[in-house]
Amino acid sequence: MEREPVFRRKTAISYKTEEKTVLRGYNLSELAEEGYSFCDALFVLYQARIPTEAEEKMLKYEMGVFLEHSMSPSAVAAIGVSAGRPNLPCAIAAAVSTFGGVHGPGAAHGYMLNKYLERAQREGKTPEEMAKILVDEYMDAEKPVMGMGQPQHIDSDPRAEPIHVKQEDLELEGVYLRFQRALEQHFHERRKREGRSRVGVNVVGSGNTALMEIGFSPMAGWCLGSVCRGWSCAAHALFNMKKGRAWGASRNEPMVQMIDLSMIKYVGPEDRVVPKQEERQEYARKQKEEGEYKKWAI
Amino acid sequence: MGDLNDIKKKRGIGHLDSPKMPFDYFNREYGTVPRDTKRAPFQWVSEVAYKNVHRIVSRGYDTSELMEEGYGVVDVLFVDYQSRIPLIEEEQMLNYVMILALEDGLSAPAAMSRIVARTKTFLTQAAAASILAFGHAYGAYSAFGNRLERYLKKADAQKLTLAQAAELLVRENAREHESLGVSGLMLKDPAAQRMIARAEKLGVAGKYIAFMKEIAKAAQTQSPEPVDIDMLGATGAVMMDLGFSAEATWAILAVTRALAAGAHYIEEIERHPYMRLGEALTPKEDYDGPADRPVPPLKDRAKVAQSGVCKTVDAWMQAREERKKLVGSGYAIEEEIEDPSKKSGIKKVGKL
Repeated sequence: MEREPVFRRKTAISYKTEEKTVLRGYNLSELAEEGYSFCDALFVLYQARIPTEAEEKMLKYEMGVFLEHSMSPSAVAAIGVSAGRPNLPCAIAAAVSTFGGVHGPGAAHGYMLNKYLERAQREGKTPEEMAKILVDEYMDAEKPVMGMGQPQHIDSDPRAEPIHVKQEDLELEGVYLRFQRALEQHFHERRKREGRSRVGVNVVGSGNTALMEIGFSPMAGWCLGSVCRGWSCAAHALFNMKKGRAWGASRNEPMVQMIDLSMIKYVGPEDRVVPKQEERQEYARKQKEEGEYKKWAI
Repeated sequence: MGDLNDIKKKRGIGHLDSPKMPFDYFNREYGTVPRDTKRAPFQWVSEVAYKNVHRIVSRGYDTSELMEEGYGVVDVLFVDYQSRIPLIEEEQMLNYVMILALEDGLSAPAAMSRIVARTKTFLTQAAAASILAFGHAYGAYSAFGNRLERYLKKADAQKLTLAQAAELLVRENAREHESLGVSGLMLKDPAAQRMIARAEKLGVAGKYIAFMKEIAKAAQTQSPEPVDIDMLGATGAVMMDLGFSAEATWAILAVTRALAAGAHYIEEIERHPYMRLGEALTPKEDYDGPADRPVPPLKDRAKVAQSGVCKTVDAWMQAREERKKLVGSGYAIEEEIEDPSKKSGIKKVGKL
């Protein structure tokens, strides 16, 4: 039997032989046999170490609370893709792909913290002092402060504060939590001073702080958060595949479906005549000169 | 919009006014369809979860409360997919399975993640791409699990013993050996057997593991090569004994692997430069298609062009067989794609 690697690479992550699969030096089967948890294995994967019990509990909590979020862009993507009844992994991949600069931007939050912590060290400032600088710089530039605010949970993200508190209860407070807490304090104070409403920390702000505190890089943290959402999105896709209407436009369902024709609101150019080919060049030249099309170009 | 239709009718538009058309094209309406007020308005219907401003609830359990009560990520999978809190032993078993599913070296999902990574994407795109690598051969939990279900039902209906059903399954599905769960892949690696043994020790083994063992026995009798339960067979049977459907198993384990695909994305970027458009070459020695040939002048097209249209069934059969020889044309592959659209629907939801 030919068992050539799909892809040849020098790797420090794992190797696999006919006898075993080894992750960062540990035989996976032996890790499982010893009774380590899946979360322990994630520390081995990303950090090549066995975590403390408290660290393992923190990861278990963070991923557990992040996994399901009902209807957010990721679940909507999964359900949308499932409407065509492709293979299930397509719906899950679409869901995970929705995580970008706005939806669950874990890496961006992590890079922001790292950048300002590095600066604090370089400029001899405390995390509290540097957190104020961060807030002022972001808000002066009218940039959103990563990790603050959630469009649906406008009265404090139900996951966020409990993650901070859990981190404190597990005595896992380090430089990240200290910095994040100070950031939140300055953020709230400044918005109050400006007469603006309170905007709470979101699950990226608190969850990613916890993940970085227990040693995960911004990238690894982003992966843990965004990919674990794929589990719940798959459940949403499966529910729709098994119990919902394919295509999402049936007029036989008692409820108007997701892409029923009546769901379309068109606000583009008026209906118009398609020019004949013999009219084309003159028509196109005029259209380009008038420039009205630029209003619609995206 | 009568005017616009009149204008268009006078001008004529290609073949749209052909009498062969089953409609009067110039009598068709413009504009969007009005809101349907006779039916309930669209809402995201879910049995899985809801949220409001203050809480996120999965199958009735507030997810923050679940975590505060000491449950974790693995427990939530039981809640999301099965609407229940797992036994401690079940949670332990799923942890075990997921550790084994986490990493598989540089196999297809890791390769997908790395290839995507080299084009400079977000990590999430690469991790998502790795999930797409779970098909009906690699990580074939859906094909495998649904087959187990079918033959267990058959055993019930036809009063077959597990051994008889297993023998039938192996005999009737030899062509789809990649999703049987039995192969020569784990003859030297004890991980699959250990997983089965752990399920039995924890008391979570049930009918699927029992059936899987019979399938292995049947395959060993029928196969000329040594075979045994492989990771697909062990993992799939254990997951189904834990109560997960074939599709849930597929989803859970593909996402589990995507967590490791993220590490492969990171390592690829750390160790290798990004790849630009047009940078990668394909050596001629790897090419075995038609020999290099001159492109005919466009004016000679009528002389050199060959029609692909077959006027008779015999000619079509002959052409199809010929076309099968052209690798990459798709003629040599037959894949039936089922249309399940009439099998679902929620008639009870949304009535005004």
